[in-house]
Amino acid sequence: MNSPVTVCNQAYLKIFFHAAKHPHRSVNGVLIGKLIDNTVVIEDAIPLLHHWTSLSPMMEIGLDLAGQYAESVKLQIVGYYQACERLHDTALAPVGERVAEKIRATFDKAIAFVINGETFGTGQPALIPYIPVGSSSWGPHPESGSAFSASSLFQLASPDIPSRALKLVQTDHIHQAFGDFDDHLEDVTIDWLRNAACLPVDV
Amino acid sequence: MSLSSALETLANYRANNTRASLDTFKKGAQVLKANAVSKLGDDSWDFLEQLMLAAIDIGRIDIADACLKQLSDKFPGSQRVEILQGIRIEATGSSEIQLQYYVQLLKADPTNAAAWKRMISVLRRNGELAEAVEELTLYLDTFYSDLEGWLELADIYSSCNRYTLALQSLSHALLLSPQNPFTVLQFAETAYTAGDLPLALKMFLLVIDMDDESAAKEPPQGYNIRAWYGIKLCTRRLIQSPSLGASSSSKTPVPKSLNAIEELATEQVLVAFRNKRDAGTKLNRDVTTRWMAAF
Repeated sequence: MNSPVTVCNQAYLKIFFHAAKHPHRSVNGVLIGKLIDNTVVIEDAIPLLHHWTSLSPMMEIGLDLAGQYAESVKLQIVGYYQACERLHDTALAPVGERVAEKIRATFDKAIAFVINGETFGTGQPALIPYIPVGSSSWGPHPESGSAFSASSLFQLASPDIPSRALKLVQTDHIHQAFGDFDDHLEDVTIDWLRNAACLPVDV
Repeated sequence: MSLSSALETLANYRANNTRASLDTFKKGAQVLKANAVSKLGDDSWDFLEQLMLAAIDIGRIDIADACLKQLSDKFPGSQRVEILQGIRIEATGSSEIQLQYYVQLLKADPTNAAAWKRMISVLRRNGELAEAVEELTLYLDTFYSDLEGWLELADIYSSCNRYTLALQSLSHALLLSPQNPFTVLQFAETAYTAGDLPLALKMFLLVIDMDDESAAKEPPQGYNIRAWYGIKLCTRRLIQSPSLGASSSSKTPVPKSLNAIEELATEQVLVAFRNKRDAGTKLNRDVTTRWMAAF
């Protein structure tokens, strides 16, 4: 997997808001985007779960619905993200690995991100890229230590988006209005597919 | 914000076990600054405990230590304060020191349930899952009625794909709290993940059944929507591959009226969207309608 990856602003913000809203739980979701000249462009993120992330039925339904939505906006599911309950826990296994594999079955350049608890509150990029290693297991990308640096394969559409995300959470508490599929399953008026109300007008 | 409204919010958080750490910390620090702790009377100790835990959550160890100091001066030798001391050690101490601390508390009093549970959570956090499961099983032998303990055990098993064992733990949780729809939902979703679709369907239906007042009241709300989605998923898969019905390890029979249940589930989920006219709901309804129809 050597294709460059670009993370667009609204995708980064949504991943960040999702993790910030549930700091004591595991959360997960999918990334949607498209391939442009061999670059995986992650345009948006769709948040799935926060109640329990190791059980599959709502995950299956959420993946189906997110896939359909992606198609309707001419995108596809290109990746997966998760944040762990425990600060220093950055493993993808075993549940995240299964979902990421499922995504890889339809998009062979699939990518996964695990949220980095260490840099989450610092305004630095807080995503650790994971890629397939071997037949069905996933591991951190060899350059995961320097991901999102100037020479990295992984780039943010705007380098200042991590600090902006932090500010939106700390001063505007925008993440409180953010909803995922678990929320939607209890209140269907929560627009988990777009979360339009949480995005600044210029994003 | 006035001091009294800050105090009111904090009291509400305490009553509802709300872990809004940042907000708790901000309001709590305001109370500290105004020197208003002593005016709280007997509530002041609960307040200090609350502020201490919030301060640890957001990394203000200095404030946590100040709260802890007041508490241990007031209640020397209190078991509750000893646990807070342990949580403080967990914030910065090495995992060995954390474990040692709880082992020593348990040596002094083997029935110290809170210390035992903290120790188990430290083991789990360190990734020592086998030890965590062993201790938690022993703990539940002694404190059988600890619902939280059974749910934790189920969660550990699920997180390492041991779904049958997770179901066993959840059976105990159900015995202890048969009226809790969330435990039934968790049971249903675990059964589905374990591949026992007839059992999952039965439990999803039980969630709807538990609440017959709201079942009559349209449209479905809250966890019932989740249960209807689950019913739809189970019936659809059982209709598509009938062999799944025969592989129920709990030998749960498949209902004869599978098609009727499936139709009802579709109807109930879509009814939940009715009368909601904003653009976001419309998009969600369209996507859901397509999913429901895609057979």
